[in-house]
Amino acid sequence: MNSAIELLAPRYDIAWYPWAVQYFFMIALSYASLWLAAPGLVFGKSRWLPTARLALLACLTTTLVAPVALLADLHQPLRFWHFYAYANGHSWMSVGSLILPLYVVGVIVLAWLAWRPALQANRQAPGLQGFIARWASLGESPTPRALLVLVGLATLALSTGIMLYTGAEVAIVKARPLWHTVWLPPMFVATGVIAAAGLILLLNRVAGERSTTVTGQMLKVMLGACLAAGLIAGSWFLDGINANVGSVAAALESVRGSAEWRSTALWGGLTGVALFGALLYLLTRPAARRPALFAWAWLLGLVALHVGWMFRWVVLMDVQTVARHSAGFHHYGVPAGSSGVLGIVGTFGLWLAAILLVDLFVPWRQARQGGRGADVSPAPASAASPDSSQEHAPEGAPHHG
Amino acid sequence: MDPIRRSLLGQLARLSAGAAMVPLSSVASAGINQQPPRREGDPSKRYGMLIDLRQCIGCQACTVSCHIENAAPLGSFRTTVSQYEVAHQETGEVATFMLPRLCNHCENPACVPVCPVEATYQRQDGIVVVDSDRCVGCAYCVNACPYDARFINERTQTADKCTFCAHRLEAGLLPACVESCVGGARIIGDMRDPQSQISRMIAEHKDELMVLQPEKNTLPQVFYLGMDERFVTRPDAEPVALDVLDPHGKEMGYEFGH
Repeated sequence: MNSAIELLAPRYDIAWYPWAVQYFFMIALSYASLWLAAPGLVFGKSRWLPTARLALLACLTTTLVAPVALLADLHQPLRFWHFYAYANGHSWMSVGSLILPLYVVGVIVLAWLAWRPALQANRQAPGLQGFIARWASLGESPTPRALLVLVGLATLALSTGIMLYTGAEVAIVKARPLWHTVWLPPMFVATGVIAAAGLILLLNRVAGERSTTVTGQMLKVMLGACLAAGLIAGSWFLDGINANVGSVAAALESVRGSAEWRSTALWGGLTGVALFGALLYLLTRPAARRPALFAWAWLLGLVALHVGWMFRWVVLMDVQTVARHSAGFHHYGVPAGSSGVLGIVGTFGLWLAAILLVDLFVPWRQARQGGRGADVSPAPASAASPDSSQEHAPEGAPHHG
Repeated sequence: MDPIRRSLLGQLARLSAGAAMVPLSSVASAGINQQPPRREGDPSKRYGMLIDLRQCIGCQACTVSCHIENAAPLGSFRTTVSQYEVAHQETGEVATFMLPRLCNHCENPACVPVCPVEATYQRQDGIVVVDSDRCVGCAYCVNACPYDARFINERTQTADKCTFCAHRLEAGLLPACVESCVGGARIIGDMRDPQSQISRMIAEHKDELMVLQPEKNTLPQVFYLGMDERFVTRPDAEPVALDVLDPHGKEMGYEFGH
């Protein structure tokens, strides 16, 4: 019916701002890095401990920042207490508002338990570090391993609640056919794991750990997550390819009707294939060449973070520009202010500040599965990982501030 | 869109409009994304609207009077009339199609269960309203409504929508859009009262009535008479005006896409 022209229709603004992308990105990094910290910290696999230390840093900082972005996306942030005063069990968002604080507390307690022995070992440190270590370690008693495992398991359980509610909240919205698919929640998780593995690769490099064990583990996790994401995307496509309505039909319609959507689809596809190809290449090199190549893995980490963030941007922002009731697409330009660029940059800035503060005051490199302060070896470098091939700065990072 | 699919959707539209006539026993289920219980309002009534498109001349009197009555911010509308230029497929003759849009006060509203604080709720007379003192402005309902009937009011920073002018109905007045409609195209009334004009018209035109996006299963309670089934779903039309932006991305005006 191209013989019709829409002469008059209002312009509909988007309702969820980039804050939502920031929340979905941060919370995905949070739950995915929690699962990457779990083998080392909760399940006691010592080979995974170096990864777990980086993952715990990633997990705690993103967990602290994510709710800030979520609050900012409310048009009435100061009314957040209404979520608890008038909870509505019929709404996924309300269910999420009950899970989220429990999850945040779980992550904070887990990180505290894992860092406590190192904090206890740090009680004699001079200045603010020592003061914080004395204050935050709450006494000299040993940290029971069983308690850490228990809190870890409970937080992992809560994290599945976060995965479920963030996915379901969007996927139940029939009004936006592109969202309304059962394949969206698993795709959020898969891209979240890709991004979290990428973040740990990056932190591994930036924090000066440069552990090849961590790199190898994260590349494998990322490969698995890429395969899963490919499988989910493929299933979504095949599931809907023959339907006249639904998520895939809406996607095809958008791609047909808009040059921007075409380039988005092309970019997404190419980036995914390039990431997958690079991972395969790195992981299939002979063992002798790996250390030299793995030194560049942090670049893949950046690509992975880009994939995780862009997926959320496309899903949450771009989909809102597809008109659902009128013809064509709505124009959306990212505003400069707090509901746009400033909010995006501000969230990342806050996150960076959180990482730096933890790095300054908490000996996160010695996180361990409970125990006593005396078990923690004093030099940060020796606590790192069994593969001692990497070069550590002798003074250790906690002093660089 | 192919003709088979179109006619199927048309059938669906008629079917749903028919199904809505059956008095629905309200489903008291407690699952996530199910409808919470209705509250307030007169349970003996069920308001609905019938729009006789044969009478609509697209004058936008409803748009303007609603805007004034409900003090919506500029650029946001509780009701509006979309206009389309449609060419006849064989003769090429051009006509204008008018489509007044407003909240459908659905029997199964998608916007109500998603509200995390039950600020938006359905009254027992079927009218969907927002308690703006409770609304946290999460905009979930704005995204959940398939009809773009909701918006965030930039002045109150809460969700805003058509209320069938509930404040006027309670005072025994007609909604502003109905009151101002020059052709008498909008008919509002209690569908539980068999003698009301809307009930009589629904009975008379039962087979011709259509609702918007019936496939969303929202069971809209705004019925269109004289509807072109091609406009029941998202219109497959050349989009409205294109924004003309200056080099800094600021809007300068509109132009048509052809």
